[in-house]
Amino acid sequence: MRRVALALFTVSLLLGLRSSASETDQSTFEKTVKPFLQAYCVDCHSSETAEGDLNLASYTELDLVVADFRRWNVVLQRLQADDMPPEEAESRPSDEQRESIIRWLQSVRASEAKRTSGDPGPVLAHRLSNTQYDNTIGELTRVDLRPTAEFPIDPANEAGFDNSGESLTMSPALVKKYLDAARKVSSHLVLTPTGLDFSPHPVMTDTDRDKYCVNRIIDFYSRQRTDYADYFYAVWLFKHRTDLDRAAATLDDFANDVHLSPRYLAIVLQTLDEPTSDIGPIAAIQTLWQELPSGVSEDERDTARRHCEHIDDLLVALRESLVPDVKNLTAPQVHNGSQPLVLWKNQQFAANRMRYASDALPIDKIDLSSAIPDSLSDHESLVAKLSVPEQPEAEKAYVSSLQRFCEVFPDAFFISERARVYLDKESEKKLAGRYLSAGFHSQMGYFRDDQPLCELMLDESQNAELDRLWFELDFVTSAPMRQYAGFIWFDRTDSAFMRDPEFDRFRAEDKDCTSETKVRELSDAYTAKAKRAGASDKALSAIGDYFESMSATFRRLEALHIDSQPVHLQALLQFAERAYRRPLADHDREQLVAFYHELRKVDGLSHEDAIRDCVVSVLMSPYFCYRVDLASRNETRSSAKIEPLDDFSLASRLSYFLWSTMPDQELWDLAAAGKLHDPDVLVQQTRRMLQDDRVRGLAIDFMGNWLDFRRFEQHNGVERERFPQFTNELRQAMFDEPIRFFIDIAQRDAPVLDFLDAEYTFVNSVLAKHYGVPDAAVERESWVRLDDAAAVERGGLLPMAVFLTNNSPGLRTSPVKRGNWLVKRMLGEHIPAPPPSVPELPSDEAKLGDLTLRETLQRHREEKTCAACHDRIDAFGLVFEGYGPVGELRQVDLGGRDIDSEAEFPNGTSGQGLVGLKHYLKTSRQNDFVDNLSRQLLAYALTRSIQLSDDDVLAKMKLNLTNENFRFGSIVETIVTSPQFLNRRVE
Amino acid sequence: MRTSVTPSQNVTRPSVSRRIFLRGSGVAMTLPWLESLPVWGTEAPRSIADEQASSDYPRRFAALFMGCGINRDHWWAKGSGSEMELGKSLQPLEALKTKLNFITGLFNVHATDVGIHPGQTGNILSGASLKKGSELRGDISMDQVLANHFQEQTVVPSMVLGCEQPVTGYHETNFSMAYSSHISWQNATSPVPMEVYPSLAFDALFENRGSRRNESILDRVRDDASSLSRRASASDKAKLDEYLNSVREIEKRAAAMRAVQQKAGQRAQAKGQPLSMMKRPDDGLPEDIRQHMQLMCDIVAIGFQTDKTRVATLLLNRDLSGLFYPFLDVKSTHHSASHDDLSDEYERISRYYCSQYAYLATKLDAMPEGDGSVLDHSCLLFISSMWSGNAHDSSKVPVLLTGGLGGRIETGRVLDYVGKADEDRKLCSMYLSLMDRMDVKLDRFGDAQSRLAGL
Repeated sequence: MRRVALALFTVSLLLGLRSSASETDQSTFEKTVKPFLQAYCVDCHSSETAEGDLNLASYTELDLVVADFRRWNVVLQRLQADDMPPEEAESRPSDEQRESIIRWLQSVRASEAKRTSGDPGPVLAHRLSNTQYDNTIGELTRVDLRPTAEFPIDPANEAGFDNSGESLTMSPALVKKYLDAARKVSSHLVLTPTGLDFSPHPVMTDTDRDKYCVNRIIDFYSRQRTDYADYFYAVWLFKHRTDLDRAAATLDDFANDVHLSPRYLAIVLQTLDEPTSDIGPIAAIQTLWQELPSGVSEDERDTARRHCEHIDDLLVALRESLVPDVKNLTAPQVHNGSQPLVLWKNQQFAANRMRYASDALPIDKIDLSSAIPDSLSDHESLVAKLSVPEQPEAEKAYVSSLQRFCEVFPDAFFISERARVYLDKESEKKLAGRYLSAGFHSQMGYFRDDQPLCELMLDESQNAELDRLWFELDFVTSAPMRQYAGFIWFDRTDSAFMRDPEFDRFRAEDKDCTSETKVRELSDAYTAKAKRAGASDKALSAIGDYFESMSATFRRLEALHIDSQPVHLQALLQFAERAYRRPLADHDREQLVAFYHELRKVDGLSHEDAIRDCVVSVLMSPYFCYRVDLASRNETRSSAKIEPLDDFSLASRLSYFLWSTMPDQELWDLAAAGKLHDPDVLVQQTRRMLQDDRVRGLAIDFMGNWLDFRRFEQHNGVERERFPQFTNELRQAMFDEPIRFFIDIAQRDAPVLDFLDAEYTFVNSVLAKHYGVPDAAVERESWVRLDDAAAVERGGLLPMAVFLTNNSPGLRTSPVKRGNWLVKRMLGEHIPAPPPSVPELPSDEAKLGDLTLRETLQRHREEKTCAACHDRIDAFGLVFEGYGPVGELRQVDLGGRDIDSEAEFPNGTSGQGLVGLKHYLKTSRQNDFVDNLSRQLLAYALTRSIQLSDDDVLAKMKLNLTNENFRFGSIVETIVTSPQFLNRRVE
Repeated sequence: MRTSVTPSQNVTRPSVSRRIFLRGSGVAMTLPWLESLPVWGTEAPRSIADEQASSDYPRRFAALFMGCGINRDHWWAKGSGSEMELGKSLQPLEALKTKLNFITGLFNVHATDVGIHPGQTGNILSGASLKKGSELRGDISMDQVLANHFQEQTVVPSMVLGCEQPVTGYHETNFSMAYSSHISWQNATSPVPMEVYPSLAFDALFENRGSRRNESILDRVRDDASSLSRRASASDKAKLDEYLNSVREIEKRAAAMRAVQQKAGQRAQAKGQPLSMMKRPDDGLPEDIRQHMQLMCDIVAIGFQTDKTRVATLLLNRDLSGLFYPFLDVKSTHHSASHDDLSDEYERISRYYCSQYAYLATKLDAMPEGDGSVLDHSCLLFISSMWSGNAHDSSKVPVLLTGGLGGRIETGRVLDYVGKADEDRKLCSMYLSLMDRMDVKLDRFGDAQSRLAGL
């Protein structure tokens, strides 16, 4: 805390003493600089001919120079490089003259940097960029909705990043898009009994609500492992744990290893071990079990696994034979498919899952000799165990074994789909995929049958979750009410039961058709008619139960709909708090709640619509869609021009810097506890955040903009007919390569120099093929580190296909674009835009004529005006000539000419291809790269352009990098603990 | 912060009272098209010269659906123009026959040989191949393609109405019953929510529910922006004002729209033009299906006349319908009756549905617009899922088109595609042709890549 406070103090002090530059600098400006400019510069760089976009005549005062020093930095660079004024200029200054101007510029720069050191600079409030918006919505709703798909592309600021107020502007058209986006998000909102949820798809219609709720239950079921063989095998492994060198492992460990239910595994173990009479199915299974191998060699494990499958087969056959046949419950005139009767049948099946219904004995139904595998046991003793004994005593033991058997081994753990249960089973088999269906005809309705799963397999929290999912199905989809409407409809159409006039007043369309009175009245009328027609007591009781249970469900849901309203309102406030990324003030809460009530009372919206519109309003609030760094509220507003960010603003600044999204709970908690300003905490959080997956946000937003490949996923500059290998998959892989490389550096805290000179890279199968990696052991879709990338002339950022392709105009390479990219983006040199009169090169290498591209460029450089820039650029592109227009390795160009990748670098040395380039950069330009990376990352982090006041922190970044073996984390940590990151200007 | 704003800026506050005003009395005053303008769209009223050009009137499309087919013995037409002869079931269209095209022989290949009822209905306007089982999958329907096209130009992009509640559950073919209930689909997996309550359909149209709700939200956003602005620094204020002003601008446009509409109303009254009135229907569902269907037709008509919307679908009944027709002296439900589709009973049912279609067409024809009527600038489609309910035959389906889309469709014709190659008798080809004439030009739609020859 002290370090920061001190930094802050220094800044305010210095900014407070605003004074102009030193008198010496002032007099030098008048006496030496102005005449120099007049003599050597303004011929080209004046208001009329502002070449290179530079008008040096406009700087009449030293203060103007200071205020616009960014441009003067370019002047300084060019003077230092001695390439301005150009060689062909009429008169050129002496070295001495040049030196004196350089000295003066350095002095001005130093004194200004010192005076303003640590100034946070002007950081404007800004709307979330499109990626930040998408990411934040993703974080907030926990669903990847990407609502900005139809937004215009965000422009970049002067520093090249699309994350600042300089470039992120707002317009009425965009507000409308925001409104559409917020509506879109709100259409995914699900109101559950306990709060608010978001679905991956819209949930505005019944069918969509069904899909959401049903899929969650089906997903839950499909995560459960219910094959008996898996459990037998796991028990066998557990028994042999010592031989498997896992003496210390528990039964639970063995279950969890392969996602089996620990609870059920213990039951199976116990059943296999329990003493039993030597008759009945459990005894038979135990016998078979004991014949499993005693050793754990690979062969023996295979054998054990296979034997477990056999036991499973026998068990399932035995168990199926014990499932009693449930006949349809019928009643005269009542349709067999009528809901009360169908549900009765479902209940019978459910009740028998773990019960021995004494009307069936297995031996009657299955052919034991074929059910018992030859490889196991002797048949006779097994058949004896499974045969019904003749003595009454033994039969009693046998039946009790059957009871135990049915209890431990249910015929099904859950039923996830059901055809029409009252019709012939065989002919209904084709009706698959009716998830959770109750088995009615043409009517919707769900039926839950998973008691064995709940009682034998799930632990307490899983049971609670499953109960919740089923309950939410009823709540969210109003399934019971819709089922009841279907019942009335069916009994008037397919069934003729309710066509009598006495039933006319029970219409599914009436809103009160599910009211207590109406349900009771229908129940009475229905029962009375059924009775008149001669229904059995059993049928009558099924009918009575149906109406009673439907009515109870309706009442429960009605009550819950009312009780859950305040819950939703509370959840809305929590949603707003997360969306705003800061605690709500009392009056914020009051306003939001008031808005809800206004929507209900004044606009007449339903509860759900009102909540939905409140969510839209939260997402439209500038507290959500803007990032504004508010001052700490408890600081007294002194005359200080700089003050610390409050903790929540700092949390946002950190998370949008490192993740491009909102802060997570841990950051929130630290901010709430007031601990986030502690430099140790900051560093520790930074390290944690870099390890998180969300660091991809930094990789894409920072690196994508810095190296100008942010939109490569939509790149369409390749003629696919000529380059059929350039598929969408390859394009995506090209885009991902530097992203993965970056994340790897960040997460290993590796040296940033690896960006330049690493010998490794990352590939998936598509990219490996493109790179000609021999016999790549790369599985499709998966990414691996390619250690010896140099063998295929890759490694580090420079030869990545994404950059080589992005800087090629299609049917030829462009050494100029490639070179310009390297010099500008990687090394941070300022290259002015080309003049409008540049001659065009042919668009196709094959049409270059007799000259090679290299020779054509050579000719271009002979023009003096062109040479000034091209001498600095072309070499860095020519070394890549061994890579074609989609970054592929090549020996000849598209015109069939041999490739020459030799180039002379600006320092006069020359080199060939990637190796030559890397050598030159390593020996001569490493500093330039590191400085540039630092400047870029700082500008991105601060969401503004670099200014002179940043010189100190840049120097510190450099120092820390050098001292800490160039590890990536050191620059990030230096940034987040710098005064410019921690404070804000007050203006 | 409630800044006072001069009335000329049309940013009147407080919001609450304005919204109360907007709720109105439940009686919609409707203005002819030129006098009412979309709230979110362009503001400039058209010049008088434009008003004259008939081709410039908005073109509208509505589809009316009837389930389970018609009585084919009485569903025919011969001849052309005023000489056209109509079968018994088509008698309700006698007075409109010069504006009618009777079309037969068209079909949707993905609705044949896949299983009856839901599989023949959920794709009637999309031509999609439907998926069985739990997961719904079809495709966007042509009315929604049109709705997407007009969404910026009208208050309500489309009306999706029904006279029988949608259901889910499974049919014996293992298709979801949702396919039997929905002909309008917003994408491959979701039907458009269908409105069956006339009162709510009316509100959606005349209370401008969508835009009014947006205005409530923008009101609140403005409050938030000003409160945030007070806590922000001067330079941040400037950025936040950019937002605030953008929000204001949108509200201003909406307010200006309202003013234009009001003024137009006064002008119309001053000129002695009668204003069509429609009382807000009562809450709840009408007891009588006849009343229900007519109310829904009235709402479509008034929505078209006032150019609140240009696209509507009306599911008169579900396929596999459970509706009863005591007033037609038919005992069984619609679906059961259709199994005896050559019966007198089913002829009466078919004729009744045709009369609902004729009711809407007649109503639109009585609404003058330019040289003609609203009907002349519209196209009303009547379609059913089958030709024969007894055979569940969808190898061709009954199709009627009424209205000339502002002279873009020649009318008074019988178009017979029976016997043509399957390639040349696709429903989706007709949809391509219709969309073309509403300036929505697609290369392909559903299973069709070519327009319907001869339309």
